[in-house]
Amino acid sequence: MLKKLKEKANKTVNEMVDKKIGNESSSGNAGEQNNTINSGNVSNHPTNRGGGGLKNTAPPDVNAAMDDAAKSFSAKDYSDARYSLQQAMVGIEIQLGRELLKNLPGSVDNLQKDSLEDKVMSNQWGWSNLTIQRIYSDGKDKQLTITIGNNLLYTGLINAYFGNVYSVQSNGENEQNAKQIKVQGNKALITYDDAKGYTVIVPLGQTSTVAWECINFKDEDEVMKAVNNFKIDDIKKLLGEK
Amino acid sequence: MIMKKYISIIILLLIVSGASAQDFSNQVAAAKTAYAGGKLADAHFSLEQALQEIDMIVGKEILTLLPASMNGKATVTNDDQVTANVGFIGATIHRSYGTDGSQVEIISNSPMIASLNTFLNMPVLGGMMRNSTTKVVKIQGFKSRLEKQGDNENGKPGYQLQIPFKSTLITITANAMDEKSVMDFANQIPLDKIAAML
Repeated sequence: MLKKLKEKANKTVNEMVDKKIGNESSSGNAGEQNNTINSGNVSNHPTNRGGGGLKNTAPPDVNAAMDDAAKSFSAKDYSDARYSLQQAMVGIEIQLGRELLKNLPGSVDNLQKDSLEDKVMSNQWGWSNLTIQRIYSDGKDKQLTITIGNNLLYTGLINAYFGNVYSVQSNGENEQNAKQIKVQGNKALITYDDAKGYTVIVPLGQTSTVAWECINFKDEDEVMKAVNNFKIDDIKKLLGEK
Repeated sequence: MIMKKYISIIILLLIVSGASAQDFSNQVAAAKTAYAGGKLADAHFSLEQALQEIDMIVGKEILTLLPASMNGKATVTNDDQVTANVGFIGATIHRSYGTDGSQVEIISNSPMIASLNTFLNMPVLGGMMRNSTTKVVKIQGFKSRLEKQGDNENGKPGYQLQIPFKSTLITITANAMDEKSVMDFANQIPLDKIAAML
């Protein structure tokens, strides 16, 4: 009897609450609609609905830029000479990046390169921040990203890590999330993070770094097998690193 | 005697700038040869060197444009310095005046400074704002930040004036001077000429 009463009371309360929520949400929606209309009238900000984008231009003509730099320098127009030199450097960096991408394997284990994701980024500030990136994917959830960068600060930090004997770490339990390894004779660092997967970083020479980010790889062995598809010596040679 | 000294300095400057011009041409020629031979990294390295040569030449020319004295304090010629760096730091040009730490420091062509200039122009972040020790002034049309830095042992205040433009920052440190003298000194620096060179 008590149970029946309780059920009935619950049903009535639920009906009342539902009814009230329904009224509030409908009036709320009406309010929102009014607000939208009003704000649309008041602000009248047009939004972009698409465009042709930018045309893909060729990288700066290195020879022409060097000639311009020499001419400006002779005319003591140092600002322009500087600009032309920077353009020549950007041109070389982009060529170098493309050359590097050409030399990378087309597939790694069962992962195919996604050439639409190939990136070569360079900026006017010289060597720093030259970034070359390629993504390999199985079309589902397994992915390997290789990033070859020329970033003095970043490489310096990693080299400092290798210089520090105390950085051979363990979290005190049976698992490590970072350790030093060797990849094709080069000192390297491998890390694992549940959210990011495996990352292998190899500093090359004085200023360059190559990093592999491996998502959804089974284990460390699988990561190392994939990483060893890339010839580090060839990358070093192109970057002019010892 | 003084005339002789000036002539020797001018000859020395010509030799130095001549040597740099030669270095620049050599570096560009080396870059061209390396590039033609497909040695991209070598070509890039030579261009970096050429860029540093330009920074050195420009730095030395800018030093000649700075006033010879700051409120009666003479240039300390031995302290004149130009440093060319590649990458984030940019080139630095330094001149000292007198013996109390008064100086002009110019950092040019640095992306770090470009970010700093954005910061300096944001009042919310403590940039171009006014409080009891800081105020915004205009030097030859360039918005600048003047900061009073307390009194020295002679009871006279020190000032720091920061003039940001493009990716360049000019910092004037003036000790034991009044505000008007600092502004007068800053107005003697041909900022437009310097901006055109950088």
